[in-house]
Amino acid sequence: MKNRVKVLRTQKGWSQQQLADLLGVSRQAINAIERDKHDPSLKLAFELAKIFSSDVQSMFHPDSSEDQ
Amino acid sequence: MHSEKNSQSYFTKRFMLSMLLFLLLIAAQTFTIELLQLSDWLLIVVTLVPILPLLWAFIIFKQRFQTLDEYMQRLTGEAFLWMLGIVCFASFAYGMLAMKLAMPQISAAYILPAVFAGHGLILRLLLKEADNEK
Repeated sequence: MKNRVKVLRTQKGWSQQQLADLLGVSRQAINAIERDKHDPSLKLAFELAKIFSSDVQSMFHPDSSEDQ
Repeated sequence: MHSEKNSQSYFTKRFMLSMLLFLLLIAAQTFTIELLQLSDWLLIVVTLVPILPLLWAFIIFKQRFQTLDEYMQRLTGEAFLWMLGIVCFASFAYGMLAMKLAMPQISAAYILPAVFAGHGLILRLLLKEADNEK
């Protein structure tokens, strides 16, 4: 699953730790999501979308290479 | 962040307290068995009493696990899976060798501390690996 979390976070000028604190998760979790190493749960995905005033569909999209 | 730090600190304090209690009970157990003539059933009770703080430590760890975020829970589970694999394959290899060769005696009591320590070490390595890829 690809996502735009890093782009949106950078636009806000937040560090990974700041975003993690806002979401109540570890910095490692944010790092893993940004590097596409961890697909967040639906709950966390919706919380991320809310923080960035966005919607889940525009933030996350399936990696087409995973389907092959 | 502060709540995570507080949660970690609370966990560490309680976990260390359970370990301290374990060591005290081991000392008490050793002296009691050395100094007193115990009946068989009392000997069993005194020998097994140090397991209680370890059970408490396990409950503390389980409570801590439930407060972790989804990614840290995943890494913790992965570390346990690695440790489970290591212990299972090592014990199986030992057993196979013991059937054919004279092998040194290893107490099963070492398995629990080995699993806890090994799990902690593997978790650190997984976290370090994740940070190196940052």
